[in-house]
Amino acid sequence: MSWWRRGQTATDGPLSCHEVAELLQQYLDDESDEVTAGRVAAHLDDCERCGMEADVYREIKAALARRREPLPDVSVRRLRRLGERIAAGGVTDPG
Amino acid sequence: MSETRWRCSPFPGPGTGGEWTTSPTGSPFVVPVSKREPTSDDAAFARHVLPEIDVLYRVALSLTRNAADAEDVVQETLIRAYRSIERFDGRHPRAWLLTILRNANVNRTRRRRPSLFADPEEGRRALESGDPEPSAEEEATVDLFDAAVAAALDGLAPRFRQIVDLVDLDGLSYQEAADVLEIPIGTVMSRLHRARRRMREHLAAEGLVPRMPR
Repeated sequence: MSWWRRGQTATDGPLSCHEVAELLQQYLDDESDEVTAGRVAAHLDDCERCGMEADVYREIKAALARRREPLPDVSVRRLRRLGERIAAGGVTDPG
Repeated sequence: MSETRWRCSPFPGPGTGGEWTTSPTGSPFVVPVSKREPTSDDAAFARHVLPEIDVLYRVALSLTRNAADAEDVVQETLIRAYRSIERFDGRHPRAWLLTILRNANVNRTRRRRPSLFADPEEGRRALESGDPEPSAEEEATVDLFDAAVAAALDGLAPRFRQIVDLVDLDGLSYQEAADVLEIPIGTVMSRLHRARRRMREHLAAEGLVPRMPR
């Protein structure tokens, strides 16, 4: 069996590599519905090349997540203080 | 009467009481002038808004690329959220807040004169300057792959980079990113797809990942 399958477009059968490529980003971002996610996952388990492609994008996403910088403490503290003051009934809006 | 009022006018008149505070960009913003009993709106604000402050600030940084402007936008968002909290149905607070934040940011850019436009990298530099110096050990473990991903991200056109910032760094859902940028969710998906594909191509050209399948 070819590990790089093409031309399969059935709506309820196995997904083709092309279809998985179209759905992959949504799948990795947890934006797929449950049924679609299951079909993509099944394909990735079965297809070495698509599985590897998914791993590449997972690595990119992980590197981006590591890039996430801590927020400046002073600004966050100031904003939380304002929010807490509002929530504590310290202020109201005349409308 | 002990009712507290926002001081919304930028020009406090004599005898109006209350205290003024200054935003990071120097513009005055609201302050409490007295204390009153908490209401159900206050409780709703605490429940729905306070847990989102960090996310709001992250998104504001991605939109404004400037730490002080981001803080102003979030302050404005908190105030607007409080004003409209009684009309908020309690569902999807983040989406509701992001819509408010988007409008607050649009108003900010309208108010701003072109000559005052922020240096796009200022926000990043401000963030970086607030960080402690990395240790020698941390420096040594800086990964080549991460550096290449950072370079690939920096090489993206702004509209592509912004989507990656919002989804991968700020942790927004597609719908939340669509709300905050006021674009269709399909556009979020296509931009994200293209952005990651370009980053992947960059990494492949560096020999860090396999070439794209054809």
